[in-house]
Amino acid sequence: MATEAMTGAATNGAKRPLMRKVLPYLLSLPALLVCIGILIPFGTAAWYSMQRYNLAFPMTRGFIWFDNYIMLFQDPSFWHTVRVSLLYTFFTVGVQLLLGLGIALLLQRRTLFNNIMSILLLLPLMIAPAIASLMWRLMTNPNFGVLSYIVGLFGFTDFRWASAPSTALFTVVMIDTWVYTPFMMVLLLAGLRALPRQPFEAAELDGVPQSFVFFRITLPMLTPYIITAALFRMLESIQQFDIIYAMTQGGPGNTLMVFQVTAYLERYQYTNVGRSAAILMVLWVITFILSNIFIKQWLRLREKARGVA
Amino acid sequence: MTYLSLTAVSKRFKDDVVLDKASLAIDRGETVVVFGPSGCGKTVLLRLIAGINEPDEGRIHIAGNEVTFLEPEQRNIGMAFQNFALYPHMTAFDNIASPLKARGMKGTEIARRVEEVGELLKIGHVLHHLPKALSNGQKQRTSLGRALAANPRLLLLDDPLRNVDAKLRYEMRIELPRVLKAFQTTVIYVTQDYKEAMALGDRVAVLMGGGFKQIDHPSEIYKDPDSLDVARLFGDPTVNVVDGRIADGAVELLGLRFPLPGHLDPGPCRVALRPESIEVTLDETAAGSMPVDVGDEGRHGLAVELDAVTPLNVRAVMLLKTADGKELLATCSEDEATRLPRGHKNVTAHIRAADLLFFDQAGARLRPRPN
Amino acid sequence: MQRQTSLGRVVRVGLLTMVGLFFLFPIFWVFLMSFQTNQEILRIPPSLFFEPTLHNYQVLFSGRLETQTGTLEVRFMQNLMNSVILATSSVALSLVLGIPAAYAFARFKFRLGEDIAFTLLSFRFAPPLLVLLPLAIYFQQLGLINTYTGLIWVYQLITLPLILWIVRGYFEDISEDIEHAYRIDGNGWFKTFWKIAIPLAKPGIAAATLLSFIFAWNNFVFALILASADKQPVTVGALAFVTASGIQYGQIAASIVLSVTPTLALALYAQRYLVEGLSLGAVKG
Repeated sequence: MATEAMTGAATNGAKRPLMRKVLPYLLSLPALLVCIGILIPFGTAAWYSMQRYNLAFPMTRGFIWFDNYIMLFQDPSFWHTVRVSLLYTFFTVGVQLLLGLGIALLLQRRTLFNNIMSILLLLPLMIAPAIASLMWRLMTNPNFGVLSYIVGLFGFTDFRWASAPSTALFTVVMIDTWVYTPFMMVLLLAGLRALPRQPFEAAELDGVPQSFVFFRITLPMLTPYIITAALFRMLESIQQFDIIYAMTQGGPGNTLMVFQVTAYLERYQYTNVGRSAAILMVLWVITFILSNIFIKQWLRLREKARGVA
Repeated sequence: MTYLSLTAVSKRFKDDVVLDKASLAIDRGETVVVFGPSGCGKTVLLRLIAGINEPDEGRIHIAGNEVTFLEPEQRNIGMAFQNFALYPHMTAFDNIASPLKARGMKGTEIARRVEEVGELLKIGHVLHHLPKALSNGQKQRTSLGRALAANPRLLLLDDPLRNVDAKLRYEMRIELPRVLKAFQTTVIYVTQDYKEAMALGDRVAVLMGGGFKQIDHPSEIYKDPDSLDVARLFGDPTVNVVDGRIADGAVELLGLRFPLPGHLDPGPCRVALRPESIEVTLDETAAGSMPVDVGDEGRHGLAVELDAVTPLNVRAVMLLKTADGKELLATCSEDEATRLPRGHKNVTAHIRAADLLFFDQAGARLRPRPN
Repeated sequence: MQRQTSLGRVVRVGLLTMVGLFFLFPIFWVFLMSFQTNQEILRIPPSLFFEPTLHNYQVLFSGRLETQTGTLEVRFMQNLMNSVILATSSVALSLVLGIPAAYAFARFKFRLGEDIAFTLLSFRFAPPLLVLLPLAIYFQQLGLINTYTGLIWVYQLITLPLILWIVRGYFEDISEDIEHAYRIDGNGWFKTFWKIAIPLAKPGIAAATLLSFIFAWNNFVFALILASADKQPVTVGALAFVTASGIQYGQIAASIVLSVTPTLALALYAQRYLVEGLSLGAVKG
C-alpha cells in the first residue's frame, strides 16, 4: 500500500534536505523583522542624542558629538530628574516589597478565604496605571474626594495630595503602590508556597521560635523570589510614566519630573529632540544594566521552576 | 538477503563521539537485538535509522534504497520509545490509530485494525482511556501497538521493557516473540538487559565503544565471544578473568596446568572462565592449600575457600577465594547449594578445561589452531 | 502549619481587613460614583446611600454631553472600540508571529533564535519612549502615524515578548519523543506542530494570550505618541475625556468603569494563569 509511494520517494534519501536547515530561520523570520523594527528606531534615537536638533530651529540642526550629554550633566534640572526618579524608585520598590511580603505571609496558608483574597487583591494590577491615576484623582479631589474627606476627619483639612509639592511624591508613590503591590504579593506568595516543607516541619518539632524561623529559614529561601520581583519592579519604577503623567504631568512645578516625563515634555513642549533623546539614552543605560542583572536572575528562577515541574 | 544496512555510520554530539564507523546488516524478517552497556549509543543508532537524527558520516539503506537523510515520516517504520512517548491528549485508541490515519486509511478499517491490535496486546478494554488513566504496562502495550499497527516494514524497539516492573517485564519477555512473529516484520530491539537479549534475538549485535564488536546468535556470543569485553558483558553473574601463561602446549593459571586443545603462541594471556564451568565439591581429605589435580574429565581441582553463597533465581552464586586471594564466582543449582554444609570453608573447585576462553593482553580473543 | 493563638487570629483578620480596604475600596467607590448624579457626588459627607442612575452611562453611549456651554461630542465609545481593535489584533498578530518562533526557539537550539529572544526580552524592559519618539518621525514619513496598522505593529513590543517567552517554556516542556513518534507515524513537521505541539502547549498559549491582551489593553504611552483622538484607546481617551468634560465626575467614573471592566473580568476568569504569566514563566502558579 503506502509502502510503494514511500520507497518511490526514497531516491532523494541520499541528499541532505535543504528544508531541514532553513526551517528554524523561516519560523522565526517574522519575530526577527519585529526585532529589526525595534533596533532601527533605537539606533536613530542614539543618533539624535548626538545632534543639535530642535524642531523649532530646524536650521541649527547638526552633529555635535556628546555635547547634549555634557550639557545635561552640567544642568541642575537634569540632576533633579535623576534624584526624583531614584527617590520614586526607592520608595515604590521599598514600600511594595515590605507590603507585598507582609500580605503574602498573611495569605500563605491555602485556605479558601486566602485564595479568594489573593485573587481579589490582584485586581488593581489589572487596571491600567493611567486609569488608576484617574480613579485616585477622583478620590483626592479637594471638593468632593472621599479621601480628602477622610483625612479631613483626622484634622488634615487642607490636604492637597498631588497638587502640593510637599505631598505630590507621596501621592504618586501611593498610587504606584496600589497598582503594583499585588505583583510583589503574587510572586512572593507563589514563592512561599513553593518552598520545601521539611525545614519548617523540623523547626516546629524542635519548638524553634517563629521569628527565628522567619529570619533564618523563610527569608533566605525566599531571597531569589524577592530579588527577582524587586529587580523587575525597579526596572518599571525608574521609567514610570503613565501614573505621573496622568496625575500631574510632572508637576506641580517640576516636583515629579522623572526621566520619561522630562523626556516627553522636552520633545513635545520644547521640541528639543536631541536633548530628549540624550535623556532617554541615559535612562536606557540604567535600565540596560538593571535588565541584564534581572534577566540572569529570572532565568535562574525559571530553570528552577521548570526543574520542579 | 540484507534488508537494513548501516555502512560506516558515525555520529558525534559536540566532542562526544557516540558512533564511530558502525556497520550492521539485517535480514528481512529477522529480530536483531542491539545490546550494550548504557550510553554506548544504542538509542542514537535507532534515532538515525528512524530519521530523528542524521549521521555525520555513513549511509543507511532500507530495502536497497538509501534513506540516510530521508524524513522520518517517509521511512514507513514503527518505533516504540523507552518512555512510551504516547500522545497525552489522545486516547489509547487514537494513539494506536495515528499511524493508520497518517497513511490515509478509512475510518472503519482503522477501527477494525486498532481493535485487532488491542486484542492481540490485551488492551482491548482500555482503548478509550487517555494515557494518564493507563497503568505502566498498558502504556507500554499501547506504545507497542502504535508502533505495530501500520505493519511497518521495520520495527524499532528502544528498550521498551525498561520502565515496567519486574513481573511485567518477565511476562512481556515471553509474550513479545509471539507478537513479533504475528507481524512477521524486521525488528531491531535495543536493550541493556542480557536476559532480554538472550530471549528475544535471532541475532545479537553487541555495541560498544562506538561500534559493533560482535554480531551473532545469542548462544554463540555467550559460548564464543570475540573479545574479553563482550565476554564480560554477556553473562550473569559475570565471567571470571584470570591471568595465565601459555607455554609448551599448555596454559598455566591459578597454579594449575591445562593442556591446550590446539596451538597458541607462548606468552602471557588472559583467561575467561564462566561461573558454571567451575564445580565445587566438598574436600574432606585435603584441607591444605595445595592444588589438587584430580584430572578426570578434564577437570582440575583447586583448593579454595568458600566465602559466600547467594541464591539467584534457580541457581546459587558462590564466591570462592583462592590461596593467593583471587576471587572467583561459580554457580550451581540451588539444591546443590543447600547441600553445602554451613560454615564449611574449605572446598575444591573443579575447572572444566574445555570451557576456558583465551584472550591476549588487549582483550582480543585467541583461538587455538588445530595441531 | 503554625499554631494560631486567638490574639494572632484577631491581628491577622485586622491586618487583612485593612489590606482589603486599601486595595479594593477605590474600585468599589468609583463603581458607586458611576451611578451617582453630580449633586450626589459633591455631597459632603459622602454617603453610601443614594438613588442609582444610569444617566452617566447613557451619556457615554449616546456620545452627547450637555454642559452649561452647550453640547459636547464625546468620543468615548470610539475609544472603547479602538481598545478592542488594538488589543485583539495585536494579540492575534503576536500569536501568529510568536508561536512559530517560540516553537523554533524551543526545538532547534540555534544562535539567531537566542539572539532574537533576548533582544525582544531586553527591549521589553527598555524605556518605551526611546523607541517611540524616533518611531513617530518614521511613522510620519511612512504614513503609519495614527493608523491601526502602525499601532498594532508597535504593540508587538508588548505582546510578542510575552507570548514568545511563555509559550516557549511550554514547548520546551513537551517531550521531544512525542513529536518524533508522531513524525514516525507518517506525519510531516507542520502536522506535528499543529496536532501535537500546539494542543499540548494550549495552557501556555491561553495564559500568554490573556495576559498579553491585558497588557495591550492597559498600554497608555504608545497611543499617546502615535495616535490622535480617533484612534486612541480608552487609556488615553479617558484622560482626554477628563480634561474635556471638566466637572462631569459621574461620567468620568462611568468611563473608568467601562475601561477597566474587560481586563478585570478577564483576570478573574483566567486567574489561574496570571501568576505564571506575570513572571514570564519564572514562577509556577
